Amino acid sequence: MMLPFLIIIPLFGAFSMPIVSLLGKKIKEYWAAIISGVTFVVSARVFYTVWKTNEIILYTLGSDSPVGRGVKFPIRIVWEVDLFGALLALTIAFVSFLAVIYSLGYMKHDTGLEKYYTLILVLEVGMLGIVITGDIFNFYVFLEIMSIASYALVAFRNDTWEGIEAGIKYMFVGSLASSFILLGIALLYGQYGTLTMSYLAIKIAENPTLVAKLALAFFIGGLLFKSGAVPVHMWLADAHPAAPSSISAMLSGLVIKAGGIYAIARIVFGIFNPGLHAYLRAFNAPAVNMNVVGWIIVFFACLTLLVGNAMAVVQTDMKRLFAFSSVGQIGYILLGIGIGTLAYGTKAGELGLAGAIYHIVNHALIKALLFLVAGAVIHQVGTKNLNELSGLAKRMPLTTFSFVIGAAAIIGLPPLNGFASKWIIYESSAMYNPILAAIAVVGTVFSLAAYTRVLFTFLGRESDTVKEAKDPEKSMMLPVLTLVVIIIVMGLLPWQISDKIMIPTARMLEQLNGEYIMALLKFIGGA
Amino acid sequence: MFGYWDALYFLYAFLIGLIISYLLMKWAEKVSTGTRRTGDGAKIYISGEDQDKVIPHFEHLRGYFTGRHVMWGLIRGAHRMFLVFKREHTGLLTDYVAYLLVTIAIVLGVLIIGG
Repeated sequence: MMLPFLIIIPLFGAFSMPIVSLLGKKIKEYWAAIISGVTFVVSARVFYTVWKTNEIILYTLGSDSPVGRGVKFPIRIVWEVDLFGALLALTIAFVSFLAVIYSLGYMKHDTGLEKYYTLILVLEVGMLGIVITGDIFNFYVFLEIMSIASYALVAFRNDTWEGIEAGIKYMFVGSLASSFILLGIALLYGQYGTLTMSYLAIKIAENPTLVAKLALAFFIGGLLFKSGAVPVHMWLADAHPAAPSSISAMLSGLVIKAGGIYAIARIVFGIFNPGLHAYLRAFNAPAVNMNVVGWIIVFFACLTLLVGNAMAVVQTDMKRLFAFSSVGQIGYILLGIGIGTLAYGTKAGELGLAGAIYHIVNHALIKALLFLVAGAVIHQVGTKNLNELSGLAKRMPLTTFSFVIGAAAIIGLPPLNGFASKWIIYESSAMYNPILAAIAVVGTVFSLAAYTRVLFTFLGRESDTVKEAKDPEKSMMLPVLTLVVIIIVMGLLPWQISDKIMIPTARMLEQLNGEYIMALLKFIGGA
Repeated sequence: MFGYWDALYFLYAFLIGLIISYLLMKWAEKVSTGTRRTGDGAKIYISGEDQDKVIPHFEHLRGYFTGRHVMWGLIRGAHRMFLVFKREHTGLLTDYVAYLLVTIAIVLGVLIIGG
């Protein structure tokens, strides 16, 4: 069983970092790279196992069975990994590994690096924990581990006020959002007496009370904040640009997905399954109206993709532009999840979910690339102000090329990976409601405008500030070029990836036959 | 599912749109429905009666041509929207908290009533 090592390895790496760093000056960097590399291998193995067998892995902490002694219901902490969780774990481990490699060169001149690498590994533990856990309180614990590491990393460069201010604001409001999530968990536990997600799903379907709806509202509100949806996106636009670029890549690429989008999808489809409640409603039994939940998600999705992308157009700070673009892209992912909820059990619903999952992976790769490019520019030129970066293409051709690939992919130009996922989201929204598709396309127009502006700046007349610039060192270019290659290769095989990975993942998340619940029931004999 | 190259339809639609808008513009110029070509350094008139009035914020548009009201309204509207966006947010912690509470309140209200 490889699954526990997904947590054990990075956790061991993080806590051993202060001791390892005493052994020599460069050892901590290599230690972080080795740990995150091994974690990536483990995550690839877990993903391959789940993908190959198409079965959910259920692991109980400290026991063979989640059922407690003398009782007939699950009381132990379970980790339940379906294809969605495994795919996200793979993405998280991969991007984190690249961020660590990039940091070798990028953070060379910084001090306190043992803290930096400890925090990166703790951040990775938090995210990996979120995507593998099947216990709602355990989920909260990992969410807090992830959040606290990100607060600290945002304020890591404390020589400027920007980072400190952004970090403090992020921490205060983030803690409040976490408290709402915790309140939701407390309400569910008080009402149903269990914390195991699959078991909660059964209990809620048996007796869907007002308390369950209140809890769902607190979850959605808190998690919308964590995913950076409009109108609670402001922390993101402050925090992501203030962090070191390798961290921005992880925050924009991974943290808002694992701690926000993934959690929303898991709670909506795992705990409050739309199919289950639609079935109950068909017999006039009490149930949660999941259509309302779907429309809430779609409403915030449309708001997010329009405002996020439009705000990106007017930015002069390159990293802030990318941060707002992340907000916009979260809108597309939420739109896919919303349509998956509304059109549950139909082709449009399945496509919506598959598109959302596909875009989570694609956006993680693309946004990581763009932030790493921004980091390379800041590292070489010393500014991220677009008005001062004119004519960079001539001095940093490889970096500019990487930017062009990233920008084209995020806009959704074929033949790059962003096209396929956005196309599936457009398609599913057009199938469900053409107005939603039109809104999504308008968002993309804004996105196009924003990135074209950066491109024109890079290709424009050379300014004095960029005269001395050149492409950065190999350790920084390697992750950037790796991402470029992956984006191009994934773009050449769009439908193969969709059919072989994304659609099965969406089906497993949708659990038309209650697979996520059944995996637990096998243990407690309730099937 | 659509085919991979079906994205080309976007291009077709764009090109057809371009041709239609060009023809419309030519027609509008010909029948002078408020669209007129002006020379170098000429002012844009937002109405035939008030020839001195330059479009606020759009002084740089001199030498181009524009419609009488519709174009003016559209461009000004878009410009104002981006001006609002540029102001972004206050950056005050209390505002961040207020937005979070309002969002949760909306979700809570909708779910209690409709959920």
